[in-house]
Amino acid sequence: MTVKIAGLSLANPVMPASGCFGYGEEYAPFFDLSRLGAVVVKGTTAEPCAGNPPPRLAETTGGMLNAIGLQNPGAAAAREKIVALQQWSVPVIVNVSGHSAAQYRAVIEVLDDLSALAAYEINISCPNVKAGGMAFGTDPAVVAALVRELRCATKKPLIIKLSPNVTDVTAIARAAAEGGADALSLINTLLGMAIDIERRRPVLANLTGGLSGPAIKPVALRMVWQVTSAVEIPVIGMGGITNARDAIEFLMAGASAVAIGAANFTNPLVCPETVEGIRSYLAENGFASVREIVGLAKKEWQK
Amino acid sequence: MLKLHTLKIIKQEPVAPGYQRLTLARGIAAQAGQFVQVRASETFDPFLRRPISVHDAAEDRLVLLYRTVGRGTALLAAKKAGETLDLLGPLGSSFPLTDRAQAVVVAGGIGAAPLYYLLRTLKRAGKQVSFFYGARTEAELLLREEYRALATNYSEATDDGSAGSRALVTDLAAPAIASLDATVYACGPSPMLKEVARLADYYGRSCFVSLEAQLACGVGACLGCVVPVRGQEKYRRVCVDGPVFAAGEVFFC
Ligand SMILES: Cc1cc2nc3c(=O)[nH]c(=O)nc-3n(C[C@H](O)[C@H](O)[C@H](O)COP(=O)(O)OP(=O)(O)OC[C@H]3O[C@@H](n4cnc5c(N)ncnc54)[C@H](O)[C@@H]3O)c2cc1C
Ligand SMILES: Cc1cc2nc3c(=O)[nH]c(=O)nc-3n(C[C@H](O)[C@H](O)[C@H](O)COP(=O)(O)O)c2cc1C
Ligand code: FES
Repeated sequence: MTVKIAGLSLANPVMPASGCFGYGEEYAPFFDLSRLGAVVVKGTTAEPCAGNPPPRLAETTGGMLNAIGLQNPGAAAAREKIVALQQWSVPVIVNVSGHSAAQYRAVIEVLDDLSALAAYEINISCPNVKAGGMAFGTDPAVVAALVRELRCATKKPLIIKLSPNVTDVTAIARAAAEGGADALSLINTLLGMAIDIERRRPVLANLTGGLSGPAIKPVALRMVWQVTSAVEIPVIGMGGITNARDAIEFLMAGASAVAIGAANFTNPLVCPETVEGIRSYLAENGFASVREIVGLAKKEWQK
Repeated sequence: MLKLHTLKIIKQEPVAPGYQRLTLARGIAAQAGQFVQVRASETFDPFLRRPISVHDAAEDRLVLLYRTVGRGTALLAAKKAGETLDLLGPLGSSFPLTDRAQAVVVAGGIGAAPLYYLLRTLKRAGKQVSFFYGARTEAELLLREEYRALATNYSEATDDGSAGSRALVTDLAAPAIASLDATVYACGPSPMLKEVARLADYYGRSCFVSLEAQLACGVGACLGCVVPVRGQEKYRRVCVDGPVFAAGEVFFC
């Protein structure tokens, strides 16, 4: 079940997606977190961030919209929570957010000495922060420059998280790879909105929010297929995964590992269940390792 | 402890048109004011769990009282005795008991659901309880006799005057809040809660309100369910910091 990503060796290819698992502590009552391939923690900014005013959530057909606005305690306070995760001896990936290159660097400066921190996932794609995030994620030149700058700021692996809200995701992926990214993760949420017809106004105080859940899976899968065809570096695939079948689709599309987001809310055991489901699939179909199914659908398609 | 449970349904009763009482076969050590996140469907449609308050609880029993408003609660209402229900809980904060010997409890509509267990808890603790029960109409004063039996003083208000006083339940409760050296508890629509909080603040009573919000995870992980903290640029989560809050913390009085 082991996979290698960005120089990290993961016991299995399944991890919770950023923002959907807090700093791990909320889900520790449900299962042994060491059963995860890695833990990806909430988007962390240099300074504490209060987040957006409520309402922040709307349920939609096959998913949900969120406009959390990166509420987090800030990098200094996050240190303790990251260290606390060490008790599970599972690699911790810290999702980093900011409004400027300097802010991303500031987070890295505060956290870089933590041995518990295995890699950074650089969120250049958050749709809910008005001034920043997305602007980075939509321009290839800006992405390449940002990654290059962060590459100089740390020796730890850099995973760049891509936005689906672009015309050509492969252009951004190539830019991140050229800038020196060790891996990519995709997709972040798709920009959407909802209207309450009784109150006759938008549901979310932020007007727009990020769509996640089963509704976005076909889009995510297509982007993972395209990106893994365009770049050599490994990809962590996510978007709408709710079980092992979904996860295996992403692996077959070319992802080297998968992340599960909103489905944790409905089924707190979705991550360990997905690990077990992949394990049985491999055993039942005579595969010796996860690696054998990575990109398998592509190979079949090219025949 | 917070856990994922699969509980057997032993009773599913309509208590009024559109309102159901669901009894489950095992307790989950819940306290008054806490809630559970119910999975209405085995599929991911609807996508999220539904939060429902603990209406009553014992070692061998967990009771929910709910109003059918949409798809999730309709699916829940369609479940029959003998089937099982997947739920997460107990979740959130509970109504604290104070050193006051008296309590004023104010319910608005389905907001009465968690207050039943509170009334039982207060009674067991030997408190004198004045209970004010408001609803749109008589039919929505659910389980009146059961609530009445738990209160020292019991009053009703309806919007249409079909039962009790034709008044706002807050107007009915105001004299008690003014005159009794009591702790005030409330659950109901937000304008009602604000008025109860205002009265309690004015007369210097400590007051606890149970709030609602759209939830996703229910366990504090997604940060989606927040309410602003009074006077601060800060938010608190309804699912773990609440649903029961000290009124002064969440309302501008
Ligand atoms: C902590 C907490 C505790 C709760 N406890 C209880 C409880 O004990 N009992 C209980 O009944 N509910 C309770 N609720 C509310 C309950 O969770 C919602 O009613 C439920 O999630 C609705 O799900 P649904 O799928 O049936 O409706 P959805 O399809 O999700 O949509 C219903 C929403 O649309 C609106 N709506 C739809 N139809 C109507 C209608 N006919 N009239 C008015 N509004 C309508 C409502 O605003 C409602 O929120 C609680 C909520 C929270 C946060
Ligand atoms: C409530 C919520 C909060 C999120 N917060 C973050 C975040 O802080 N940083 C980030 O990169 N992605 C964040 N995401 C995006 C997820 O990590 C994931 O990319 C996306 O939800 C798609 O996966 P899913 O469909 O499995 O949820 C968040 C998603 C949700 C639902
Ligand atoms: S519902 Fe997720 S934090 Fe409250």
